[in-house]
Amino acid sequence: MIEIIPLVVILAFIFETMDSSAGMGFGTGLTPLLFVLGYEPLQVVPILLISEAITGFTSGFFHQEFENVNFKIKRPINRETKVMLYITIFGCIAILISVFITYFAIQVDKVVIKTYVAILLLIMGIIAIVKLKFKSSNYKPKLLTFFSGLAGFNKGIGAGGYGPVVMLGQIFSGIYEKTATAIVSLSEGFVSLAGISAFMIIPILKNIPNEIDFYLLPSVFTGGFIGALISPYMVRILPNKLWKVVIPIYALAIGIYVLLQLFGI
Amino acid sequence: MLNEESQIEEINEIGYIAKKIDIEMTILERMKIKKSTMKRITMALGIYFVTMFLFLYIL
Repeated sequence: MIEIIPLVVILAFIFETMDSSAGMGFGTGLTPLLFVLGYEPLQVVPILLISEAITGFTSGFFHQEFENVNFKIKRPINRETKVMLYITIFGCIAILISVFITYFAIQVDKVVIKTYVAILLLIMGIIAIVKLKFKSSNYKPKLLTFFSGLAGFNKGIGAGGYGPVVMLGQIFSGIYEKTATAIVSLSEGFVSLAGISAFMIIPILKNIPNEIDFYLLPSVFTGGFIGALISPYMVRILPNKLWKVVIPIYALAIGIYVLLQLFGI
Repeated sequence: MLNEESQIEEINEIGYIAKKIDIEMTILERMKIKKSTMKRITMALGIYFVTMFLFLYIL
């Protein structure tokens, strides 16, 4: 019997609200908490991907509606759309590799990877906080390519921390904070859709039963969906000055959180 | 001509609209929601409730 679990709804709401307004934290924050609550990886990972796909498109749509971003489908597409496509392509390739690694049980040392991600997030968070003292820089596409690749690499090896790297990478590359959040939200929708497609297709290709358990979906989706509706509005009304401070501090907090998990705290 | 080009370049800048709204509008002005946006929010909530009903009680 599938039911709504209030605690999971609240957790999903908190992490999705932060994810859609600060561009990070849904996967990195919620996954370990659900494991602690006793849920299995196949109950958690695909469900978070399904939920993130829908909420990513929802918040991307409402970010556009609240004018935090200006995506253009018609040609010539503008820079904001190009950046989103850039990040999406890197992310999609990476998540496909990541799902293959999971399914084909390729051994990767999780402790080494988690340590690497925690240190990377801490360094990037500290740099972002230090950079607050300086004036925003101009748009640097080469730097953005580097960070998109780095975030993709992290996701590809199953290390997590895709959102924080791509979000801070955009800010380091000179993208306006409110717009960077909107770009990441929509991009995560596409990347998660690619991930969930891989989760569905691989069992068919390998001729094995699909073991995805949908038990958590209504709860994660309910919290996530409400968060995805509220966040774009929050991003619009609160001044960019505030997001400039909140984003690096939140990234640093996620880095510390990942590090604490390593020590079993 | 040059002015027009620089204007196009400015509009093409990433985050131009968000930046403009941030500078030109007060928080109270930014809080106002357009009727069309309100309609879309209601529609999204409607889709959510129908999906959840189907998922929990029918499927």
